[in-house]
Amino acid sequence: MVTPARAPLRTDRLRAVNEPQLVTVELDDSGAPAAVGRLGGSAVGRIECINETWRIDDEWWRQIISRLYYEVMLEGGKRVVLLQDLITSNWFIQYP
Amino acid sequence: MTVSQAIGLCSTLRLIEPDPVHYDEQFAYLLAALSEVSPVVEAAELGLVYVGGDGLEGIYGGNHKIVDAIMSCVRRATCGVENDMSIATRRTPHAARVGWGVGKFTAWVAASRAKPSEAVVVPLGEERNFLAPQPIAVLPLDTDTHRRLRRLGIRTLGALATLPEAAITAQFGAVGRRLWQLAAGRVVEPVQGRVEPEPIAAALSFFSPVGERELLVHALDQLIARALKHPRRIGWRVHALRVRAELEGGGSWLTAHLLKEPTADAGRIAAPLRTRLELSPPVGGVERLVLEFTGFAPGTTELQLFARDAQAAARAGQQRALRSAAREIRMRVKGEGGRAVLYHIIEVQPWSRLPERRYALIDYEP
Repeated sequence: MVTPARAPLRTDRLRAVNEPQLVTVELDDSGAPAAVGRLGGSAVGRIECINETWRIDDEWWRQIISRLYYEVMLEGGKRVVLLQDLITSNWFIQYP
Repeated sequence: MTVSQAIGLCSTLRLIEPDPVHYDEQFAYLLAALSEVSPVVEAAELGLVYVGGDGLEGIYGGNHKIVDAIMSCVRRATCGVENDMSIATRRTPHAARVGWGVGKFTAWVAASRAKPSEAVVVPLGEERNFLAPQPIAVLPLDTDTHRRLRRLGIRTLGALATLPEAAITAQFGAVGRRLWQLAAGRVVEPVQGRVEPEPIAAALSFFSPVGERELLVHALDQLIARALKHPRRIGWRVHALRVRAELEGGGSWLTAHLLKEPTADAGRIAAPLRTRLELSPPVGGVERLVLEFTGFAPGTTELQLFARDAQAAARAGQQRALRSAAREIRMRVKGEGGRAVLYHIIEVQPWSRLPERRYALIDYEP
């Protein structure tokens, strides 16, 4: 048999860095995140302030990505990025 | 004929995108197969190979036996059948044409006269008789010379060869002299065996297909930097390179360049690639980009180049130290399920709006 022209992709050798991790988020009355917790139940921390919010809608031609991002400061001063997947409504944490 | 004209003539026409990577691979199979028949194989251009036959009589027999061996090889390479030649012939006769003759020109003309999957053998001493009735179009002519020869009533190699060499030289200069010698069968150019290069490759797979030109240029710069750091490049300057891209949906894109001046300078290597990306970029999103340095020239005595090679040598020293340290770390620390514990962070799509796509970890192999 003639070997296929296209060599197999080697994406299996690549591991993504800073992948979003699933978390639970408590919302305040206005619908903004107020506290973050791990899936197991342990708390990550309460949110002291929201520094910035933005939305990304992309790749509508493939597998649509629609996310709402919040860059927040936790109690104690730690900065993290929370994102809500607007397709599944799941919350994730990511490090800036 | 343009595509729109072709569609106008045939509404059911099916357009097939070119796949230069596939052609290149098939040609590489062909070269590999032919090198089993003769150690002297010269790849003149994609689809044109010269095989040196000197000394092969002792192995295969006469010229016809050598041609048979070449035809079998071509069939094996193009049909992908290892053992059963009869089946291969019956199912998919290859379209290659083979010509046998003394010197590359005679062999090429013989091949161009052969029918697909057949061979034309020009016996020793018959070159002139064989070449005489051939049209002058088989000569390596520019259109202007071709037109001038036709206006002079010269339509065959025989007609050209009957004229005095000095007269042709006077009319057409050095080019004319060479044409006359070819037409008269006076030139026997030997086959130049290719030097087996050890290509250096660097590849990048994207998480999602990339179409933006500037992003591809950025990725190419990274690949060039990585390939230049390869220890095998020490003492060598890059002379030939190619870039291939695997496209979303199955197509491919390929560009190959022979640098006028061999160099180890990333900017000079990148320049022709940038130009090609500007002029004819890939027609779809790129899933994987591979850069290969396929040809090298030895370092020269120029101080600047020595300095570059000295840098390369220093890098090689660092590389050795890193390799030793990595080996020790691997011995001491075992990852989960025997996975590698050392990773290298590489930029994948630093421009991406999604942070997890900007960088990736890859097994660290110093």
